[in-house]
Amino acid sequence: MANPPRIWISNEAPAKDEIVRVRAQVVHVMESGLRQDEAGNPIPRDTLERFEARLNEALLLDWQPETAVAQNPYIEFTFRARESGVLKMVWSDASGIFAEAEKTITLS
Amino acid sequence: MTSCADLTRRRVLVAGAALGAGLVLGRAQAQTSSASAQPDSRESDRIAADFLGEATALPEGLALDLPALGDNPAAVPVRVHVTEAITDELWCEELIVLAERNPMPLACRFRFTAASGSADVAVRLRLIETMHVRALARMSDGRILEARQQITVAAGGCGL
Repeated sequence: MANPPRIWISNEAPAKDEIVRVRAQVVHVMESGLRQDEAGNPIPRDTLERFEARLNEALLLDWQPETAVAQNPYIEFTFRARESGVLKMVWSDASGIFAEAEKTITLS
Repeated sequence: MTSCADLTRRRVLVAGAALGAGLVLGRAQAQTSSASAQPDSRESDRIAADFLGEATALPEGLALDLPALGDNPAAVPVRVHVTEAITDELWCEELIVLAERNPMPLACRFRFTAASGSADVAVRLRLIETMHVRALARMSDGRILEARQQITVAAGGCGL
């Protein structure tokens, strides 16, 4: 992928039940569908529709961005580190999976 | 002394600059938009009423952090977090953020689970004009928490 998601995580080796903060950003145009090109034709809507974060199988966050979300959507969230495993993040738009990222979380 | 290679390089640079200027112009022309601000908060209130159902919003337990002045209306940082303790018995199930005057006031929706153990999110929104931003959170015990704050933005730069 030309522009992989940018991920920052406060602690990849948290203590059990520690709150971990994650910041993530993808490059996406978030075209609102409200704009016209120079010929006056509407530019079709192209937005990110879903972001999911899971630790192993457990769903941590399901985010549904709408038109008001800025270009190159940025999301910051926190979760309680209950177990070691893989933090998996998936961004989807109308045509399916747009980007994916993983971070390994190891309880210390 | 100017070599032939230098001349070619210069020509390429000049051509590149011209192309760049053309692109900038093209982008500027593509800025026409049919996006118009909501005249009042009626649409936003309707979405909030849908979310509330039978419940009454409590003005507590939810914090909405946003700047008083959105100097870049195309990306206004907004953070929402539940300030009461999140436990395995009591967590935030769903949270919505409303930009009251935007053409589509529902800015985004979040769902959490008991596994999340937290409800603290931050995003960047585009806001079409000065307005109130409102957040509503449904807790697992059925209560709905609310926060609302005004933000002043420079109009017309949001890129909607």
